[in-house]
Amino acid sequence: MTFVEAIVDGIAYEMRRDPRVLLIGQDIGPFGGSMQGARGLYEEFGPHRVRDAPISEAAMVGAGIGAALFGQRPIVEISFGEFLPCAMNQLVLQAPNIHYMTAGRGQVPLVVRTRVGDGPYRGHPQSFESWFCHVPGLKVVMPALPSDAKGLMIAAIRDPNPVLFFEQMSLYHGVREAVPEGEHVVPIGRAQVLAEGRDVTVAATGWMVHRALRVAEELEDEGVSVELLDLRTIAPLDTGTLLASVERTGRLVVVHEAWRIGGIGAEIAATVAEAAFGALRAPIRRVGAKHVPIPSAASLRELALPADAEIRQAILDVVRYRRSG
Amino acid sequence: MHRWMLFSRIMEAECCRRNPRWFPAQGEEAILVGAFFGLRPDDIAAPHYRGPFVIYAMRGADPRRLAAQALGKATGYSLGRSVPFTGPADLNVVPWVAGDLGTSIGVAAGAALSIAYRGGDQVVVLSVGDGTTNRGDFHESLNLAAVWKLPLVVVVQNNQYSISLHLSSVTAAPIVDRAAGYGIPGVAVDGTDVLAVHEVVAAAVARARRGDGPSLIEARAYRWGGHWAADRALYRPATEVDEWTRRDPITLLETRLLDQGVLSQAEIERVRRTVEAEVAAAFSQAEQDPPAGWEQLGIGEVFA
Repeated sequence: MTFVEAIVDGIAYEMRRDPRVLLIGQDIGPFGGSMQGARGLYEEFGPHRVRDAPISEAAMVGAGIGAALFGQRPIVEISFGEFLPCAMNQLVLQAPNIHYMTAGRGQVPLVVRTRVGDGPYRGHPQSFESWFCHVPGLKVVMPALPSDAKGLMIAAIRDPNPVLFFEQMSLYHGVREAVPEGEHVVPIGRAQVLAEGRDVTVAATGWMVHRALRVAEELEDEGVSVELLDLRTIAPLDTGTLLASVERTGRLVVVHEAWRIGGIGAEIAATVAEAAFGALRAPIRRVGAKHVPIPSAASLRELALPADAEIRQAILDVVRYRRSG
Repeated sequence: MHRWMLFSRIMEAECCRRNPRWFPAQGEEAILVGAFFGLRPDDIAAPHYRGPFVIYAMRGADPRRLAAQALGKATGYSLGRSVPFTGPADLNVVPWVAGDLGTSIGVAAGAALSIAYRGGDQVVVLSVGDGTTNRGDFHESLNLAAVWKLPLVVVVQNNQYSISLHLSSVTAAPIVDRAAGYGIPGVAVDGTDVLAVHEVVAAAVARARRGDGPSLIEARAYRWGGHWAADRALYRPATEVDEWTRRDPITLLETRLLDQGVLSQAEIERVRRTVEAEVAAAFSQAEQDPPAGWEQLGIGEVFA
């Protein structure tokens, strides 16, 4: 299955199993969703459960919060992550606060799914996932593999907390994998070591996991052993797996597609520097997009977004680092 | 309803006395009680931040725990974690957890969606301030509720002021006229007349219960106090304050009750003394409770 097919498969599986699940979004009905992100759901479940909504992100997310609070399991689809700020008050003031401030009496089992980043569509690339990691009460996931996409979507729907599910468009149709049929749950909050290594930990999200994997395979032939960590969940961070890996390798490079400044790599680097300073043999490096609004022209986009060469150079820099004097 | 209006007046006055940052609701009792009285326990109430305690109490909240809430005690419904006027979610109330105005409308519409989705006949009654109606959430959520025919009754608690700004200086046209823009009924009502408010809201509730969708009700009253308890509101003309504070919604109802022989003056005074004692007891008990501390901070309790 492709990445997007796996996500839709997860949603459909849960909708069959749990009548409380409903989907709200634009063009998710007969149109089948942007980039086929809801394909087949309307045909199977009908307009009562697959609800096309006006372009009103704040109202959609608010409706999702209220419906979740009073017993349903809504999935609100924000067509593109660039529109998340339209619903900001709902996302950061309502959804994450309800369980805490009602002393546990209220719950918001809401999933907000959205599309971000570069990809075949070449529109709406900006990605703000790191903002939401700052807010207590929100979970944020960004899978890289189709099987994880399905498993995390099911986990997100079943989670009693609000979960933001970021789907990178570059993965949608291009990444294909055998995905377990039926029941398949991947726990939120657990990173996965995709390749074991000795010299450096490369922690990445989404599309950058695939790019880092390619770079790591080249470097393996050059004698550099990379431990590749697919973060999968960026809030709450799996600090256990991350720190255990850095304790072994002594070096860390974080790679994500979003801007380097203020990206999730900043929080990861600070966390590791605080907790594993003694184990570090080199400064921590972060690779992310240059600090420009992600541009439209394909040639500019290539320059703005992380290049394989940059990932490679960051890894070599930390592996070759020697403290001078 | 008379007793509840007295409860609102006395309870809110006590909160204001003890907390100069409390939001006085004096003058708006007819809206608070008229709009939310008589709902079924399985209906959902989504009150505004000004004066919600009486609404929670009408649904079964313990006045002592409301008092504890106002005093920031560990025994308040939200353990001191939320703004003090939040309500207990398990009484079918939409809790106040956000510092903004407007998101409550979206959540109330969502509560109504939950009902429509299940095919129930419950109703959500939401109240918002006049200032809140200028937020984008108002537009988006009313349109969505109208398009999806959600069982939502939106009551605008129009007390004519948003902090220091009079409604006329910040709102281009009457709030009730916006209903036409969403194809839903819009009714303006005298917000100092509890029976009139109740009648209008009950009709809107019946309409929503039938599955005919949302309504907008603009109940016009006046904010007797400042925006917050210690605000002397010197930005308001004295003549305007005088004119409106002569129309006490409680006195209006009591006069009617006396004229119709429903209650005697002695009985009215007895009700008042009973409520005063109840509120005093609630606060004196709550005062004994410990302030919220580390246990209530509950760092590990953010996630379910």
